[in-house]
Amino acid sequence: MKDVLKDFRDVSGEHLDRLTAKGVSRRNFLKFCTGMAIAMGLPAGMGSQIAEAVATQKRPPVLWLSAQECTGCTESLLRANHPTLEKLILELISLEYHETLLVGSGKQAEEWREKSMRENKGKYILVVDGSIPVKDNGIYCKIGGKTAMSLLVEMAADAAAVIAIGSCSSWGGVPSADPNPTGASPAHEVLKNKGIKTPVVNIPGCPPNPYNFLSTVLYFVTFKKLPELDEKSRPKFAYGRIIHENCERRPHFDAGRFALQFGDEGHRKGYCLYKLGCKGPETFANCPVQLFNDVGSGAWPVGTGHPCFGCTEKGVGFTVPLHSPARPKYITPPSLFTEVFPGKEGVSPGTKAMAAGVAGAAIGAAGAALVSGLGKKDDVTKDKGE
Amino acid sequence: MSMNRRDFLKTAAAGGGMLLASQAVPVGAAMPKELPPEAIGMLYDATLCIGCKSCMVNCKKYNSVSRGALSSEQNIATPPYEFSTPEKIWDDPHDLSGKTLNIIKVVKNGTAVNKDAAENGYSFVKQHCLHCITPACVSACPVAALQKDPKNGVVFYLENRCIGCRYCQLACPFRIPKYEFEKASPQVRKCQLCHHRYEEGKFSACCEFCPTGASIFGKVVDLRSEAQKRLTLKPGSEYDFPVQTVGSKEKSRRIVSKYINHVYGMKEAGGTQYLLLAGVPFELLGFDKNISEQVLNDLTWTYISKIPAVIATILIGGAATWAITKGRHKDKEE
Amino acid sequence: MNNKEIKMMTPMTIFLIAVMAAGGVVAIYRLIFGLGASTNLNDIWPWGFWIGFDVLGGVAMAAGGFVIAGTVYILNWKKYKPIVRPAILNAFFGYALAATSIFFDIGQSFRIWHPMVMWQVNSIMFIVAIHVVLYTTTLAVEASPMILEKLRMTGAYRFVNKIMAPIVLFGVLLSTLHQSSLGAVYLIIPSKLSPLWYSSRLPYLFLVSAVMLALSMVSFETILSSRIFRHKVPFDVITGLAKGSLVVAALYFVLKVWDLASGPGIGAAFTGGFSANMYLLEMVVGVVMPLILLSMAKFRTALNSIFAVNILVIVGIVLNRLNVGIFGLAEYAGRLGADYFPSLMELILTAAMIAFAFFGFKVSAKYLNLFPGTEH
Repeated sequence: MKDVLKDFRDVSGEHLDRLTAKGVSRRNFLKFCTGMAIAMGLPAGMGSQIAEAVATQKRPPVLWLSAQECTGCTESLLRANHPTLEKLILELISLEYHETLLVGSGKQAEEWREKSMRENKGKYILVVDGSIPVKDNGIYCKIGGKTAMSLLVEMAADAAAVIAIGSCSSWGGVPSADPNPTGASPAHEVLKNKGIKTPVVNIPGCPPNPYNFLSTVLYFVTFKKLPELDEKSRPKFAYGRIIHENCERRPHFDAGRFALQFGDEGHRKGYCLYKLGCKGPETFANCPVQLFNDVGSGAWPVGTGHPCFGCTEKGVGFTVPLHSPARPKYITPPSLFTEVFPGKEGVSPGTKAMAAGVAGAAIGAAGAALVSGLGKKDDVTKDKGE
Repeated sequence: MSMNRRDFLKTAAAGGGMLLASQAVPVGAAMPKELPPEAIGMLYDATLCIGCKSCMVNCKKYNSVSRGALSSEQNIATPPYEFSTPEKIWDDPHDLSGKTLNIIKVVKNGTAVNKDAAENGYSFVKQHCLHCITPACVSACPVAALQKDPKNGVVFYLENRCIGCRYCQLACPFRIPKYEFEKASPQVRKCQLCHHRYEEGKFSACCEFCPTGASIFGKVVDLRSEAQKRLTLKPGSEYDFPVQTVGSKEKSRRIVSKYINHVYGMKEAGGTQYLLLAGVPFELLGFDKNISEQVLNDLTWTYISKIPAVIATILIGGAATWAITKGRHKDKEE
Repeated sequence: MNNKEIKMMTPMTIFLIAVMAAGGVVAIYRLIFGLGASTNLNDIWPWGFWIGFDVLGGVAMAAGGFVIAGTVYILNWKKYKPIVRPAILNAFFGYALAATSIFFDIGQSFRIWHPMVMWQVNSIMFIVAIHVVLYTTTLAVEASPMILEKLRMTGAYRFVNKIMAPIVLFGVLLSTLHQSSLGAVYLIIPSKLSPLWYSSRLPYLFLVSAVMLALSMVSFETILSSRIFRHKVPFDVITGLAKGSLVVAALYFVLKVWDLASGPGIGAAFTGGFSANMYLLEMVVGVVMPLILLSMAKFRTALNSIFAVNILVIVGIVLNRLNVGIFGLAEYAGRLGADYFPSLMELILTAAMIAFAFFGFKVSAKYLNLFPGTEH
């Protein structure tokens, strides 16, 4: 705690006053920033840097575009409580445009969006939730008379970065499920096809963990760049490992203990859900670590007894049957397995020692026999003479 | 034993030490050489194995019952778990042992990130009895405590015959029979293909509980053709792999991995009823590269088949020598 | 007949009895607590010192019985009659100890009789077991005249002496088969035993080396007991045995070299590796040096040098048995990371076996007419 306070004092007085004036207690604010730093895999000391960035700069403008979505991502964000949503949108970021949360509506809202885009050109963060229908020129989703596709292109072109939140905008999600009548496409694909170079971060999940989103935003605000991404443009701090690796039920998998049916003995005992179709072994996400809703352990699908269905993974969630077994694609062999054939060179020490002992005894006996036997001559003649 | 004249002379000569290098083919070996007609076995496809160890757990569970391969008359209640940590959280054997008949092991190379790749990869392997067509252990056992079922070919164990000489352990090229060294009245333990379950119309527990179809049970002829078929599949294409048994209706659609173009167990040590497919060379998977297609029983039978000739030679030759030298006086030589 | 010159309560005897007592304790411990508690054997090393030394080595050292008995009773080479009794007695002790070792080595000791009734003719182990039993019985019959004489059972003594030739012939037969079958035991492990020792000719090599060891062992015993029990050495017998040793050693050398050349190649013995060094040691001590020394008339006819050669041969051939039974498997077991060093209990029991042989021989020398025809 001392360290935290020390970090806190590093933030200059002026900023502290500003924060305090806004009703954010010093302690809670720094705790939040440190928490975010840790979630991103940064040193805890980075908390103060984040705090400073958030406190000193103008709140980063964020525009939120919703396309073919269910508002689950927003709902998930509403459940975050460190910070709570009002803290987020009133103090940490400047949420300029969000269809669900906007006070104004209709023409007023659209005008505000355009004004904000003009004023913050090249500086704002564009958040997209929902997939973008591209079939028939995108007529299946329109806002204020404009297709989602054209809105995305227009808004992304002037954005500093695009954050695609949720499975739908990250890889298509549920609207893209077969037969995909609207041609639902992820945001990055639409932008790529239109030749827009703005960097895109995908935060997949149905819904995604709000802290993965918040951490990404804060990282961008603090360091003026995007966090390290994997080949599917997901932040590595959140999507670097498969669920299976950190799963609380992993010991059961390693011990071969499986639930075979919902409600059977194994299921009630909390055994591994692999055989019920858990997609943990092929899904990259930090669900078992971050959990949901800040209510402690067990608050995630596998924790409640339902197999993971692979929402963060293109080609898994909404694509393969819910209860068909996963195709583990990334199993790092745990150290619990015995090496099959150590193939060690040479002879083990015990056997070697034994051989050395035997060889020593043999050489000793032979040497002694030779020395005593070939040296003396006398009693030979004596024996012969007798 | 019926011998023709030529064989007799040959073996007689060998008995006399004159045909040392003779590689005379053994005659009349009682050991089976051909796959039994109803032979049952297993096919293990390492590319499908995910290392969940379900087969190990259930092997132990279903063999720790009456007539199971892990049970003795004294002990049929508790599966013999092996713990390697003080917490004793889960069964954690490090190798086959008197308590473990089946084990999943891993071979790793370099960064060990690519499944079924020899370089910078890893592969699982399931180790247990291969149920040889001509088992070395059966031929080695002096009291026929290990026998091969003439019909289904399962190599099984009769604990009331065993004297514990452990020649089976020495003879088995695959290092399968394990001994209960820690017990005062020890037994040999090895996979018996769940033949107690087979008689009840069920099949091997490891295959029944394998979630991916990496281990499948079936008639060896069917398993052989299934294995050969998999080798002809194009890597990257999709294939409906049967789960549990070779003829199962339950399939698991998977992308075909690149196989090593060899079905292990077709010819090794004269052929086995447990077949393996893998993406890495089998010698990396713990199958000693010194194991050839040689039927091991032939090596000892070459010796045993000469014994009648040796007996005849020594008795006749010895009697003749005695008769000739009988009249010889003391120290005639000098 | 009580050999007054042999004193029983010497420090040596007391030491032997102490070792035997320790062995007895170990034997009981082994039977109660099992192999795991008393030995260092494991699944990769199912056979250890008891099989490698006690059984393979012991049986090889007991080969003198059939070689000398055969020479005397079948070849009617009466010159060697004075040493036939100690040779047979030595063989009897050797076999009794090998059988005892097997009794303690097998996991179900009290089922040792199973092979007699549960035949499995494909098994070399069955062949070995049958021969151990039959030959030990035969040796007991061959040795019985000594006892019968002592007990003054003249009728039985005469009867046994009368049928001695067929019994000895039977013994020669069993022994030939038994010595060679011990080599045949290892025919089934081509993938495990080092190619330096593995060969389809193992039975022949075991038989020839056993004969070679037999001659040296009998010669060694004769010289040693003449020194300890202070009777005259039958000198021409010793030189005769040395001559025989030369012939057999030459044959064995040729066989070994031929075998090596047709197997892994001569070069395999000179790689400097673990197995190669053990192989060289065995060959140099047990075959090459004796061959060189015996080929020189000077050493072949001198008692002291013959005694030295005997020691070389005994050490070398026993080393060969240890190599086949233990060290030849070391590289295979090493690849698997398995280790073996005999436990203290294994060593104590082996020591007790050896002590028992010495003690038994001494008691026999004292109370039986072990060396008829030699002056005291």
